[in-house]
Amino acid sequence: MKISFTINGQPQSVDVDDGNTPLLWVVRDTLNLKGTKFGCGKAACGACTLHVDGEAVRSCSYAVKFAEGKSVTTIEGLGTRENPHPVQQAWMEEVVPQCGYCQPGFIMATAALLDKNASPTDDDIDRNIINVCRCATYVRMRKAIHRAAELTQSSNNPANQ
Amino acid sequence: MAEKKKVSRRKFLVRAGLGTIGVIAVGTYVFRNPLRRMTLEMAESMVPPYSGSGTEANLWFEITSENKVVLHSPKVEMGQGTFTSLAQMVADELDVTMAQVEVVGAATATGVVDALSTGGSLSVASLWMPLREMAATMREMLKSEAAKKMGVASSALTTSEGVLSSGDQQMTYAEAAADVTEWEVPDTPPLRPIDEYKFIGKPISRIDLAPKVFGDPIFGMDAEMPDMLHACVIRPEHVGATLRSADTSKAEGMPGVVAVVRMDGAVGIVAESYPQALAAKRKVSVEWDIPKKWTEEEIRSMLVVGQGNEMVTQKAGAALNPDEEGVVSIEFKSPIGAHAQIEPNGAVAHVEGDQITVMLSTQVIGVTQRQVAEAMGVPLENVNIIPTYLGGGFGRRLNTSHAIMAAQMADIVGRPVKYFFTRKEEFQNDTFRPPTHHIMRGKLNSDGLLEGLEHHYASGDVAIGSVIMPEAIHGVLGTDVGAMRGGNLQYDQVPNHRAVQWHTTLPFATSWWRSLGLLANTFAIESFVDEMAINAEKNPVAFRLAQISDEGNGARLKAVIEKAGESYKDEVVDGRAMGFAASIDTGVPAAHVAEVSIEDGEIKVHRVVCVLDCGIAVNPDQVKAQCEGSVIMGMSGAMHERMTIKDGQLFPTIYGPYSMTLMMHAPKEIEVVLIEGDDKPLPVGEPPMGPIGAAIGNAVRRLTGQRLTELPMQLA
Amino acid sequence: MRHQKSLYAIPILFLATILFATNFNTSDLSEASTTDSSTMTIVSDDENFDKMMAVLMHKRCVNCHPSDNVPKQGEDSHPHYFGMSRGEGNLGYEATNCNTCHQHENDDFSGVPGAPEWSLAPQSMAWEGLTRVEIAQSMLDPARNGGRSHHEVLEHLTEHELVLWAWTPGIDAAGNPREAPPVPVGEYVEAVTAWFEAGAVIPAE
Repeated sequence: MKISFTINGQPQSVDVDDGNTPLLWVVRDTLNLKGTKFGCGKAACGACTLHVDGEAVRSCSYAVKFAEGKSVTTIEGLGTRENPHPVQQAWMEEVVPQCGYCQPGFIMATAALLDKNASPTDDDIDRNIINVCRCATYVRMRKAIHRAAELTQSSNNPANQ
Repeated sequence: MAEKKKVSRRKFLVRAGLGTIGVIAVGTYVFRNPLRRMTLEMAESMVPPYSGSGTEANLWFEITSENKVVLHSPKVEMGQGTFTSLAQMVADELDVTMAQVEVVGAATATGVVDALSTGGSLSVASLWMPLREMAATMREMLKSEAAKKMGVASSALTTSEGVLSSGDQQMTYAEAAADVTEWEVPDTPPLRPIDEYKFIGKPISRIDLAPKVFGDPIFGMDAEMPDMLHACVIRPEHVGATLRSADTSKAEGMPGVVAVVRMDGAVGIVAESYPQALAAKRKVSVEWDIPKKWTEEEIRSMLVVGQGNEMVTQKAGAALNPDEEGVVSIEFKSPIGAHAQIEPNGAVAHVEGDQITVMLSTQVIGVTQRQVAEAMGVPLENVNIIPTYLGGGFGRRLNTSHAIMAAQMADIVGRPVKYFFTRKEEFQNDTFRPPTHHIMRGKLNSDGLLEGLEHHYASGDVAIGSVIMPEAIHGVLGTDVGAMRGGNLQYDQVPNHRAVQWHTTLPFATSWWRSLGLLANTFAIESFVDEMAINAEKNPVAFRLAQISDEGNGARLKAVIEKAGESYKDEVVDGRAMGFAASIDTGVPAAHVAEVSIEDGEIKVHRVVCVLDCGIAVNPDQVKAQCEGSVIMGMSGAMHERMTIKDGQLFPTIYGPYSMTLMMHAPKEIEVVLIEGDDKPLPVGEPPMGPIGAAIGNAVRRLTGQRLTELPMQLA
Repeated sequence: MRHQKSLYAIPILFLATILFATNFNTSDLSEASTTDSSTMTIVSDDENFDKMMAVLMHKRCVNCHPSDNVPKQGEDSHPHYFGMSRGEGNLGYEATNCNTCHQHENDDFSGVPGAPEWSLAPQSMAWEGLTRVEIAQSMLDPARNGGRSHHEVLEHLTEHELVLWAWTPGIDAAGNPREAPPVPVGEYVEAVTAWFEAGAVIPAE
């Protein structure tokens, strides 16, 4: 079956023999966007988090057929080296990653959080950012999330533009 | 292990190409006398020397046409920040900027790989001398070539930011190295004084930040080869089960399925896409022979002090009589632990005739190469192992038998095959941290100090049976040196002290888990010592300090304890208490203060102070990052994690039920204090894991009166 | 235990045929239920109540009618992993909510259950820990049932896709089928309808 959606701003059609194929594998293997990671395949670790119409979604448990007509954003579409997303910028400033494997999922979850809640409290972070990081970079991630909120607010402030 | 050859002074390896246009590849020969170095280093420290095949002229550095230096690292990057620290060392001795250094993991076909492993927190420590010497040698070699081209004396040249200068004449390293076919190798030049380094010792940002923040395809799971197929493997779910029969007929007709193959007691399904392989896997019905369904009780009863192979690992004075008045005994336990690294194990393999290429996340590049070569019946040099960035190591990637399976399937189907574990397979086929049992005994004298202290501990395999530990070592030592980590007592002033290990091999694989025996051993010892301090009505910091001599690393341990002691208060304030604990592991002392409260019946860790003496911190920021990670991973092991065996299967098989420390549990603040008590870098990634469990437990003891004796810690 | 689970696979398959063949069309579903009921014998109100409550007391229902704001999971009704909780709109938290993982259908690849409007029942509809009479009283009480009339409650119980999901609960993360309620869906719908038609009388207990 043919499924059409937008990925990182570009229209895209894919052919799959099973519409229940997880979006994760279409993104990783068909579209060759490897930034979205496979960690558990059970929506438990969050490594596969991406955005569908601006909402954080765990793509290992999201059938590709549900993406029909929607807009999908992956870590590759969030920001670039030239123009990083504030979350990516903050992640670099705080030197968060260790092994780095879970980090795109955390960054996507954080970007979704800041989109809904411009200055999350520590409790908001604890409730919303529930991905798993085995290197345990949590202390720096928390700092980076607060820093990203600052960066987002200052870039949204017309006085700074 | 690779054969060692004498390399003549002028015969030098020059490679060009390697897939990068304009690359000038240079090998360097530095180890003038590797045996002497090995003997010295063994004698001087706990750090085993670097064990790569670096006495051959092999590829360490490339200089690109953009005038960048590419280091082919013999060690892999698994998050520990090694690539950054190595780049700092290269930049400082080779006189280039950080931006001019790139680090890639060496592949067996094109570079020098460590013959043992990346592990033991040893990458920076073991490469400290040889890498700087090699970079310095390389600098002198470039000078020598530039001198010829510029018509000046080599001694007239200075180097800075990748440029050689003499008066107003300048030449880049790339220009100097261009067209050189025979290099002149000088004697190893003297290294610079540490205080002259621009990068070593500075908190340089990680060089792999951008690839990790922008989602570059750098991991084993991201590896691809042209025309690649995807595979699933059906493995036994029960410990010790073997394949009896498999009906694969339904799977064979599924969309995209290329082959369903039998190998080594497992069934492989190879398909055009991974979801197709997964869908077909569900259609295979398999019957297993399950000789025995192990229970948790049976496993626990195998690991009891007094059972298995006994080895006294430390002994001074007389043994305590447990029945004597005043002798206190407490039992401690720890469970089976899973590695739970987020990137599953996997490999991409291609077999072309008798040439095999495997790309994967591995901590044991050389071992993977040897095992694939042996299993596939080809000469070692026919197997090229290309290491990727690792999505976590923690000891799990010392076993890479999946590389063999990928190669076997690739051989059968004649196309490259990518195979990786599902999460359930990852949990059930882990090489677990073995469960442990400890009996601590102690007796106070009339001054309220320890007169006797004993640690009796039982563990499954850690180092024994490991691919990177030769069998012979155990014959010589008679003990599991991995289970022993942190098992000996650091309180050498106690007149009667001993540590006794009881070792048993379990029916499932147990092995290396970050810090090995350290987490559980320190939990037992430091919880008990804390209890004895309470019995003696003494401040736990002073109690510890009074029983450590200045011998060996004692003075460094005491300095760390004293420093952490400055943050410690032996009182409960506003429902919060502090716990103190210390350990010394591979010559690296660590002391922690954990600030803890009880919220909604749960242990809440608010803040941890971690003091560590790892000698020279090549990159203090990344040393701190390792301390933060170690503290939280140790806390996760001490407060949450537990695998159990039920009806012969290991559970749980997914995150969540395998409970771990998450953002919501992690302390909001970890203050790391580094003491540089040695003139060289020492291991970093594991030692700070030691004290955290006991530090938290000791705080809980002060809050609730409960002495927690079993991991994961749970309030009564 | 495993044997029991496989028995439930039969009603699951049966309902799956009804629900999925008709693409979740509820009018078709009620038609299917009616056809079903024509073969059934008349039963007493108490029996209807018993059947209805045997379903409503089941974990497939109560897991999402918690009393402590924490959704429950699995056959042992353990608290939802990873600290998920009700949040402000019964859907979890602003960025990490039910739909981060749960979609409109069960996902057999991950074992994550799904149905339209996947959410917690509002706080007023807390059933966890209540007796069956208390649950029935709560269900009929407009102050607690979201201001629903008897007819609207009947519709929720017999037509709401999220409620009917209980009979097609899919497989869990380990690939094992989830347990469906102990009364087949057709029988349940018939019993609930009959009980409401008879005046929705809660028997004294």
